Amino acid sequence: MAEIRLQELAHAYAPGAPHALKPLDMTWRDGGTYALLGPSGCGKSTMLNIISGLLHPSEGRVLFDGQDVTRLGAGQRNIAQVFQVPVIYRSMTVGQNLAFPLVCRGGPTPRIRQRVEAIAERLGLTPLLKRPANALTADQKQLVSLGRGLVREDVAAILLDEPLTVIDPQMKFELRRILKEINAEFRVTMVLVTHDQTEAMTFAEEVIVMNHGEVVQAGRPRDLFERPATTHVGHFIGSPAMNFLPALAVAGRAVVPGTGLSLPLPDGLPTDGLVLGFRPEHARLSGASGTMQGRVARLWFEGLDEIVALSHPAGEVRLRAPAGLGLAPGDTAAFTLRDTALRLYRNGRLVA
Amino acid sequence: MYRQKYIFLLPGLLVLVAVILFPLIFTIRVSFSSWDVYNPGLNNAGGAMYARLWDDSRYWEALWRLSLLSLSTVLIQYVLGFALALLVWRDIAARRFLRVLFLVPMMTTPVVMSVIWRTIFHESLGPLNPILEALGIGAQPWLSQATHAFAAVMIVEIWQWTPFMFLLLLAGLLSLPSEPFLAARVDGAGPVRTFLSVTFPMMGAISVGAILIRAIEASKIMETVYVLTSGGPGTATETVSYYIYIRGMRDFQIGYAAALSLTYLVIMAVALTLIAKALIRLMVREARA
Repeated sequence: MAEIRLQELAHAYAPGAPHALKPLDMTWRDGGTYALLGPSGCGKSTMLNIISGLLHPSEGRVLFDGQDVTRLGAGQRNIAQVFQVPVIYRSMTVGQNLAFPLVCRGGPTPRIRQRVEAIAERLGLTPLLKRPANALTADQKQLVSLGRGLVREDVAAILLDEPLTVIDPQMKFELRRILKEINAEFRVTMVLVTHDQTEAMTFAEEVIVMNHGEVVQAGRPRDLFERPATTHVGHFIGSPAMNFLPALAVAGRAVVPGTGLSLPLPDGLPTDGLVLGFRPEHARLSGASGTMQGRVARLWFEGLDEIVALSHPAGEVRLRAPAGLGLAPGDTAAFTLRDTALRLYRNGRLVA
Repeated sequence: MYRQKYIFLLPGLLVLVAVILFPLIFTIRVSFSSWDVYNPGLNNAGGAMYARLWDDSRYWEALWRLSLLSLSTVLIQYVLGFALALLVWRDIAARRFLRVLFLVPMMTTPVVMSVIWRTIFHESLGPLNPILEALGIGAQPWLSQATHAFAAVMIVEIWQWTPFMFLLLLAGLLSLPSEPFLAARVDGAGPVRTFLSVTFPMMGAISVGAILIRAIEASKIMETVYVLTSGGPGTATETVSYYIYIRGMRDFQIGYAAALSLTYLVIMAVALTLIAKALIRLMVREARA
């Protein structure tokens, strides 16, 4: 178990090529759960592979508990990694698969067997120990992959590279629960790479949102939800996405024309590229008049809730409202919104 | 209903009958005759040809020799081909050039290359013996002594067909997913263990395929023997197909050659099936899962 520190870390796949990972500093607490969230090609897997040692960064250092491991190979780093595709060694049984990392490092056989049995017991794989690993289902294989990480007592961190993508939705939930339990029980640092915001938000204590090789925002899920640092984060996190409407500067306030949405402008802020944003969850439908009025364009059913899309000359906004209000496309509706739920962005970045 | 469907099947069926069924049935018929130079034509000799074959030790020796030759050369081709494929698989300098270079032997005509190899092996004029002498090994009676001639045939076969193995195995290696290799690195496996636990098991199915294709081809070794040694010295390098050629085309014992061919066909079909089964059991672990 270890604290992981990334110091001025950056990576370009070829000298002179653009950075796949732009320079960043970050510290991951021992025993914490972290999620790297971002669209495909945003550099999150690059970052993970640098930490596991499969890739050597072109700049910066990786420290485990203060010790520089930047130049160490994957095998010498005590890192476990679970990949998107479940990896099992096909010619071996489940038991041999679990024992593999220990066998590679050498050690007394009874000790290895004891350890394998303990981990198999924990993951519910005991009845499968003698089965050929190839015959397992995808989620069982993914458990075996995870088990190969846990079987090493000295493992510094478990890196999970979109491990739930190929798993059935039902089993996804189950596996996520097991991951959380394992984290609580073994106090092992876990880093999850994913492009699924729900997965990231429910799994991690801290979510690191990445885009174009850059860390856009890192923080607790609630912070990301309440105060997205950029419009990109606002779009990416939350379902439906955050609403953004272009605003104009009028008498020291940023105002969305034709609505009651406005926030005071901070002193000295240039007045171009202003956008006001708010979460669909924070708006309250209020009958005929309110902060903003529009025509119902579409409705989505979401169980107890309903997503209402309102169209307005300033743009379309979406609201989360209790189901059963009897709205229909074409109706006029209005909502109220507290100023504290409004966020001001300039050129895509949070201002207030 | 739809009786005209047979019209569409007919061309294919005709080709099948003309190319495979007719020659096969005709050969079976011929094998029960004593058609030779003196008594040409289809008479009824019963199983006389098969009885003669049973006592023909030269035939059984050729069969045994062929088994030894084909199995050993295919095995060596597999090992060499696999090693070469592993060599150029990963990013190394000039791998494109090396890939093409390794394929050159396969593109050459066997007969032409056998002629060239015969020149190389030539005991007084060829370049090989002077080189061996310079190395202190001494000149070898390449084509005039039984074991040496057998080795010479093996060398030419291996030289000619290792590229084929290389090609198939390289294609197999390139199609492997990268994750198991990454996982093995994270798990701390060294190169040897990675090969034994990851690469080789994943290459099982394609290995069986490559070995079988080569084994089928190798069971028909003929032109190399014909050009290089003509089966000699004595019968030291005589394979079954070459022996059948001697009986059928040189001695013109058509009936006997037909019986030899059929027996050879059946033995090969059975042997290759058994080899295939054994290889699958040995190398394709997941087939049992």
